[in-house]
Amino acid sequence: MRWFITLSWWDKFSRSLLLAVRSLWLHKLRAFLSVLGIIIGTGAVIVLMAFGEGSMQDALEDIQRQGATNIIIRSEKPTDDSASSKKAFIASYGLTDADYQQFKMISTVEWDVPMRIFVGQEIRHLDRFVPNGRVVGTTGKYSLVNRFGMATGRFLVDDDDFNMANVAVIGSTLAATLFPFENPVGQSVVIGNKFEYRVVGVISDRLPTGSGTGKVAEEFNNDVYIPLATCQLRFGEKVISRTSGSRSGEMVELHQITLKIAKMEQVRASGEDVRDILSRNHMRTDWSVTIPLDRLEEAERARDRGTLLLAAIAGISLIVGGIGIMNIMLATVTERTREIGIRRALGAKRRDIVMQFLIEAVVQTSLGGLVGMSIGLLIVFGVPLLIAIPVKLHVPSLFLALAASIITGVLFGVYPAIRAARLDPIEALRHV
Amino acid sequence: MAAVVRIKNLVKNYYLDSVTVYALRGISLFVEEGDFVALMGPSGSGKSTLLNVLGCLDRPTNGQYHLGDEDVAVMDDDQLSEIRSKYLGFIFQSYNLLAQYTVVENIEVPLLYQGKHLTEETRQHCIRLAGMVGLGDRLDHRPMQLSGGQQQRVAIARSLVNDPHVILADEPTGNLDSRTSDEIMVMLRKMNQAGKTIIMVTHENDIARWARRVVRMRDGHIESDERNEEDYIHPAREGDDKQPWMEAIVK
Repeated sequence: MRWFITLSWWDKFSRSLLLAVRSLWLHKLRAFLSVLGIIIGTGAVIVLMAFGEGSMQDALEDIQRQGATNIIIRSEKPTDDSASSKKAFIASYGLTDADYQQFKMISTVEWDVPMRIFVGQEIRHLDRFVPNGRVVGTTGKYSLVNRFGMATGRFLVDDDDFNMANVAVIGSTLAATLFPFENPVGQSVVIGNKFEYRVVGVISDRLPTGSGTGKVAEEFNNDVYIPLATCQLRFGEKVISRTSGSRSGEMVELHQITLKIAKMEQVRASGEDVRDILSRNHMRTDWSVTIPLDRLEEAERARDRGTLLLAAIAGISLIVGGIGIMNIMLATVTERTREIGIRRALGAKRRDIVMQFLIEAVVQTSLGGLVGMSIGLLIVFGVPLLIAIPVKLHVPSLFLALAASIITGVLFGVYPAIRAARLDPIEALRHV
Repeated sequence: MAAVVRIKNLVKNYYLDSVTVYALRGISLFVEEGDFVALMGPSGSGKSTLLNVLGCLDRPTNGQYHLGDEDVAVMDDDQLSEIRSKYLGFIFQSYNLLAQYTVVENIEVPLLYQGKHLTEETRQHCIRLAGMVGLGDRLDHRPMQLSGGQQQRVAIARSLVNDPHVILADEPTGNLDSRTSDEIMVMLRKMNQAGKTIIMVTHENDIARWARRVVRMRDGHIESDERNEEDYIHPAREGDDKQPWMEAIVK
């Protein structure tokens, strides 16, 4: 007998559903306006979560590229040194070998990569040249600490450094410019108009890293890498570089040191150690320490803030939408007082009336939710086509939005439904 | 024949803020199966109140009411709702159809609230009833597309769908012109001849003449209770007047 009852419950339910859809269709504008808050709320949830997810994704990829467990230490030209820079034509600053040796002694450091970087160098092959290439003198471990692939050939190895070999590895754009028709490997390039190097490898396209420290993002494809020892030998301690018109010189032992820390949990503490060493060794602030992991935490915090903000917006819109629904349903109940009386006279129980109007409310809010979700999806997939903003659909937000719209319907539809059920049938039948 | 409606000393008072209205002051009434009662009286006589109590839409303050085998006076709201869906049929002055439903769907409503599963069978039954009242070609029409007389006929079909003990009609021809009124009364007469019990409230003597019995009320009491001499037709004798399709209703 039980299934029999369930079947007839389904009849009432589907009748109410049908009735709800019919009523809504008859009063499209009214239905739309009453669920406007819900449409906005659900749409906002989808869009904002997607933006949050997108920028998180962006940050993560960036950090992966920079090396999630890396600490990047750079030499910085001290800004507070304006007096001395007028006097001295050659600026002396930055990381020293002493720093480097001390860094190597930090127990958590897995690999260390020292670098000397020179910009504005002419890189030439026969009659082709690039006037402002970037020369990076580094060791073989550079390829371990940074993520990139080789298009052809090999990267520098420890032996190159040991032997102070005259070898070079070039970036993809450099390769394309200097060697458009041939394999660069085995060919020679002349750097700084002075010395020849044999190309042993070409790096495949590398995406630039974001500007985490506010500096210009590093562009890798125009770089040439030579062994650090060779660099020290060939370039010496002083480097004169030509930048638009003026000549300036600098004396920097190491431009950058990248440390790869063994475990992510140790990164922060190791960063502190690095900073301690540097503050002890240096009088001026001619250094900077960048920890990509910080960016991750920053991104996570931003995302959490975003989520909180989002929850607030969504919550408010849903409440507003819910009140709209309740208002409309109360008006509907008054409008249909007679109908309620008729149904009661024909045998409807109070709970039948409650179910009827509750279903109407929930159908309204659910449809509003679906409309909001569709608009949200439209924005999420449409905006990236127009503007380059990182957006990624956060799938759970779809279910969240739908659930929220249904719950709003239930919560705010209950009161009008109960009021409808409590009407006295005789009074209701007398109603206009 | 068993009395399908048995009322004893029915009292109904309305307690308002300042006054108490004694709408029914101890009514006793027996209606037998197959009877056709016209309930008449001036405004304030209590006839509408009596109809409401009979229709289980209102609970008596005191007294007994048995409908069929059920002791209705002591039931709660849910039980009364069930009684209405199973044993009562209503015909109202202003038809009271549901505007968003089609003719067939309107006829189905009492079955829906009875808790009956709506099958193809029940739908066919409703379609047949629609045909009986002459609306077989308008099954999918909405009330808005029907005339007053047609709407009332749908209401009549609806009142028959659950094969009720009693059909209660409140001024069924009140909103109709005289020709349509006659059509409706003919239909009611035929239903009664087929065995349906009808209790009808009216203030028009012409309409009351269609019934078999006229009960007049005044000031909450029954003033008179008379059989209609003219046009009195005993169902058992009028065999050829019985339409075969009416048999189908009286299951």
